[in-house]
Amino acid sequence: MASAPAANGDSSVADYDLMLKLAQNLDRHMIFPLLEFNAGQLVDEESGEIKDEAKAREITQAKYSLLKKTDMTDYVANLYCELEGLEEPPAEFADKKQKVFGQLQKYEQDTSKIIELLERDDVVNNLRSDKVANLEFLKREHEVTIDMVNALYDLGNLQYSCGNYADASETLYRFRVLSTDNDKVAYATWGRLACEILTMNWESAMEEIQKVRETIDSKLSQNPLAQLQHRTALAHWALFPLFNFEKAREPILELFFNAGYINTIQANCAWVLRYLAVAVITNRGRAKNPGIHQKQMKDVVRIVKQEAYEYQDPITRFVHALSIDFDFEEAQRQLVLAEEVLRRDFFLLAHADDFVDSARHLIFESYCKIHARISLQDLSARLGLNADAAEKWIVNLIRDTRLDAKIDYKEGTVVMNHPPSSVYQQVIEKTKGGFFRTQVLSAAVAK
Amino acid sequence: MSRFFRGGDDSSSESSSDEEELYTSSEEEEEEDQEQQESSEEEDEDEEESSDEDEGPKKTGLSRFLVDQDSSESEQSDEEGATKVKSAKDKRFDELEATITTIQNRQKIDDWGSIANEFDKLNRQVVKLQDGGKAPKSYIKCIAELEDFLNETLAKQKVTPKNKKLNATNARGLNAVKQRIKKNNKDYQTQIDAFRKDSDAFMESDEDEAPAPQPSRVRFQEVVAPEEPVEDEDGGFARVDRRGKAVPYSSEGILKHLRAIVESRGRKNTDRAEQIKIMEELNKVAETPYLKIRVLQTLVSARFDLGSGTTSSMPLEHWKAAEKELAALLTILETNKDHVVVEGAEEWDDDEKTPVLGPDDKYIKVPGSIVSYIERLDDELTRSLQSIDPHTSEYIERLTDEASLYNIILQGLLYYETIRKDASLEIPQESVNRIIQRRLDHVYFKPSQVVKILEENAWKQISSAADSVITPRSQTGDAGQLIYVLCNYLFDNSEGIIRARAMLCQIYFLALHDDYYKARDMMLTSHLQESIANFDVATQILYNRTLVQVGLCAFRKGLVYDAQNTLQDICGSGRQKELLAQGVMIQRFNQVSPEQERLEKQRQLPFHMHINLELLECVYLTCSMLLEIPLLAQIGSSPDIKKRVISKTYRRMLEYHERQIFTGPPENTRDHVMQASKALAAGEWKKATNFIHSIKIWDLMPSADEIKAMLAKQIQEEGLRTYLFTYAPFYDTLAIETLSTMFELDSVKVAAVVSKMISHEELAAALDQVTNTVIFRKGVELSRLQSLALALSDKASALIETNERTLEVRTQGSANAFSRKDGRQGGQRGGGQRGGRGGARTGGNAQRQAGGTQFTGGALGAAVRG
Repeated sequence: MASAPAANGDSSVADYDLMLKLAQNLDRHMIFPLLEFNAGQLVDEESGEIKDEAKAREITQAKYSLLKKTDMTDYVANLYCELEGLEEPPAEFADKKQKVFGQLQKYEQDTSKIIELLERDDVVNNLRSDKVANLEFLKREHEVTIDMVNALYDLGNLQYSCGNYADASETLYRFRVLSTDNDKVAYATWGRLACEILTMNWESAMEEIQKVRETIDSKLSQNPLAQLQHRTALAHWALFPLFNFEKAREPILELFFNAGYINTIQANCAWVLRYLAVAVITNRGRAKNPGIHQKQMKDVVRIVKQEAYEYQDPITRFVHALSIDFDFEEAQRQLVLAEEVLRRDFFLLAHADDFVDSARHLIFESYCKIHARISLQDLSARLGLNADAAEKWIVNLIRDTRLDAKIDYKEGTVVMNHPPSSVYQQVIEKTKGGFFRTQVLSAAVAK
Repeated sequence: MSRFFRGGDDSSSESSSDEEELYTSSEEEEEEDQEQQESSEEEDEDEEESSDEDEGPKKTGLSRFLVDQDSSESEQSDEEGATKVKSAKDKRFDELEATITTIQNRQKIDDWGSIANEFDKLNRQVVKLQDGGKAPKSYIKCIAELEDFLNETLAKQKVTPKNKKLNATNARGLNAVKQRIKKNNKDYQTQIDAFRKDSDAFMESDEDEAPAPQPSRVRFQEVVAPEEPVEDEDGGFARVDRRGKAVPYSSEGILKHLRAIVESRGRKNTDRAEQIKIMEELNKVAETPYLKIRVLQTLVSARFDLGSGTTSSMPLEHWKAAEKELAALLTILETNKDHVVVEGAEEWDDDEKTPVLGPDDKYIKVPGSIVSYIERLDDELTRSLQSIDPHTSEYIERLTDEASLYNIILQGLLYYETIRKDASLEIPQESVNRIIQRRLDHVYFKPSQVVKILEENAWKQISSAADSVITPRSQTGDAGQLIYVLCNYLFDNSEGIIRARAMLCQIYFLALHDDYYKARDMMLTSHLQESIANFDVATQILYNRTLVQVGLCAFRKGLVYDAQNTLQDICGSGRQKELLAQGVMIQRFNQVSPEQERLEKQRQLPFHMHINLELLECVYLTCSMLLEIPLLAQIGSSPDIKKRVISKTYRRMLEYHERQIFTGPPENTRDHVMQASKALAAGEWKKATNFIHSIKIWDLMPSADEIKAMLAKQIQEEGLRTYLFTYAPFYDTLAIETLSTMFELDSVKVAAVVSKMISHEELAAALDQVTNTVIFRKGVELSRLQSLALALSDKASALIETNERTLEVRTQGSANAFSRKDGRQGGQRGGGQRGGRGGARTGGNAQRQAGGTQFTGGALGAAVRG
């Protein structure tokens, strides 16, 4: 199915490429996988040949200029050779490599003592949660100076720049334990987050995201502009775990729907809405709590509507058509386009099938909600399936969602039954939590 | 001072005069010293003052009187001896010295009361003696020492216990000196610092300079005679006048004339017209740029004085003349780059000669403030526009002057840009901000074509060499760009009110040019609605104007809901006139004081800036109709839905209209909308459209046809909704086809509207895809008890919600108890507490909610109450 529109929809789909917008908010090192992905897209799946030479070269060029400023000298040198068609990299790269090595060694020397100390049990056992006291203790017992601690920071920085993410993460962690310099600790936290993302260590990446979030909320509350910028960056960085780590989904969605972040997305980076929409839609079956999911879906619809004047792509248009205009045909059209966009997106590639499936569910759900009788034929066309598959699909759906619907085979229709929600049930729902809440309230007052 | 003497209790004043007496008698013994004599002369004057103040002879007064005579006699004889050799300037010097000595002596005996007096006098004297901003050295020494002494005394006072406090007179004197000396010494800070650093060297340099006055003494002696008549102003005037006819004014005497005129400014019985005539003559004879600048400055100020009454505006011919003269002044300044008019420059005291460019000076500085002149000119134009009937041709004629005013503003801006380039002049940022603000005020409310013409004409007047850095000549064509640049400049370089105003002007302009989303986003991100109540009334009015403009813009875009929401605060109040400063409301109940009325009148905007109130009302009512009629129909079919009112004003009008027994054909806008509403409620959408379309005022909108088409479309849709709400109970099924023909809508559109209603649970129905019909569900109407039970449960949960919120506010910071409960309860209710609360705020009227995008009219009420 994807191949059919790909031929003619090629140019239009390319318009929805967010690479440039994303790149502004990501770290150099994180852009790299995106570029790799773009390069990979150009390789024909079957033959392994590169389809578009000029484009491939462009990407290599981009990679080169991207990494030029980092300290990954060997790789940069290779890229340079590839670009210029040289066999041997020029001497300047060797120089630079030497220099980086020298620096690395210097920092390692500077920090060797402190690292050694931190590996000794008797020292670590004496550390407490109070950073100032810790530093005081180390200074007294082991002659650790603040300069040594700061050297840790520099070392971490350099390691990261060299692409040695795992070590960098460890070093920054140590730095953070000891340092009392709030700014540097905040930078170190960002640095660690980057390391964890790049080493795909999602569990600890989530911890770091939480830490960064706290810092933004507390430290920057006096500076709305910085807060906005940091939140924008965090929203982008969080995309990595969001689409790569199953457990990260709920906390990150919760993060995105937090008032501060949703406002940031609306104000500064509306394109994140695409990811948000996809995440929420694909989260349909997975959410532990259908209530939250419904709420999030509603929020997405609302925001898509509000931002329609500013940002539109097939995904948001799909949401718009389905939930605001109730134009099912348009939704269907956009869904086809959206799938194509998804397959070209670094983050969403793996979720394309999932998205299409969930989107179909959504269409059907709201279709059923509104209609009392649907012709099977029409529905199958709408879902993009043949009659038999559609029937099967519907049967499965009815079973899964416990939808109150029956298939009238003779007529070729699905008949929906919409029982009006009982007024007694409504009253019960509304008053259910009342007693408990009041109790808690009175307990809180009594305190 | 005299008041405090009289007010103070007698004993203290007596004691102080006793002290003085003591002092003078001791003075008598050392009469030889000339300076001392001078000081006793000062003393005399003092004594005389205080004896006047004492009112009524007393014992001490009498003895003092004797002393007075003695000393004054001796002083007189001395004077006679001295007159021949001393020039006026030297005499002043001596007086100064004398005062200083007195102060020093008083310091010894801690007599602060008289130190305060002497200090005032000293300052008066020193003003006359300043040459080139440098005060005499002895003066500097004196004030420096006095300050030290003051600090010492203050320190001592802190230490000493209360019983040893100074008496009342002294204490007051001390305070007076303390306050004044701080202010005063700031002006001479550098000199004082030099003195403190090395007092001897400082005073020595004094001696070096001492001979300096001597050569001038000769010159001054000659000068003394002609100077005499100038002191007597009236005499001086008469003579000038008499001679004016016979002998033409000479450029040499210009400065003298100017001084005389400036000094008589603000006094009673000065003939301003006469003075202006004199200055016009002077302007003709002025030759050097310096003289011209001086004459023009004084002339323009004098013209402004003519309109200085609170209500009356400046006469037209004088305004025009002032405008011409300001233009001339700016041209002179432009051509003579070495002359600058800056605030805070020193006055040039020498009436005899004009200043020349010194070797190390870059500029000849003339004191004055161009921006103030321009502001005043602008204000005067506004004032006269306020007082002219806007429907006369006079108003239009007057309005043409705005173009020339705009030229001046632009020229002024260019001037400030040039002089700001030189950092040594230290032109404050504020002047530029003020002038840009003025420029912005003249363009923000105009359509871009008009701004373009205005700009082009203004630039034509300016020599082609000049260009602006902030708003380059090349960009004149683009009004939007101009506004953007001006506002951004103010945004970067100013704060507080000017910044807020710049923001509002930009939003206004954007809204005027149909850039709704940008305007709305700026309005929302500015967060002005929270702080607008703290701004001054003029800014609040601007805020209201902007709000209304944004609303109108939303309407033009077809965003009925947003338009109604935005306009609600201004139009719903029924006080549009006041809130927009476009007319004074007649207050029926509370009497307005004349003072308030005058202020109110001053605030009024000139007519050409007005937003058409009738159009505004029309838009507001139409929007309200489109929202209210379906809502009324919805409520009507299920009577127990919580009564929601969108616009009270509209409801009231509708009720009034319905009460009427006989309704004639519609006459005004309101009638049209009301009758359209009635038709719409009955499902006759065509009639409604006709009524709305026959409102004439739409023609005032740009692209009126589009708006009519938009309205027709909206009426069709809302008509369909209303029809469904109203007639749903009477149908089992309804074919979409029928609806589609009935409302002349596309059947897809009908299906979409119905789907939306079903999905939002406004309509108990479902679509049948096979037969293309709407099937209405039965038995959804609730019994009275059921609906009451629902209402009760709603209210109960609302109560809990409120309680929780109250507690949250109360326990902010230590909200542990609450947050724990938050988490637990979140699980229990099956929906996150945070989400639930967020939903509660917006979910109340979720169907047509546009999210958090409404404004609240923070400036209401307060704007009027002032």
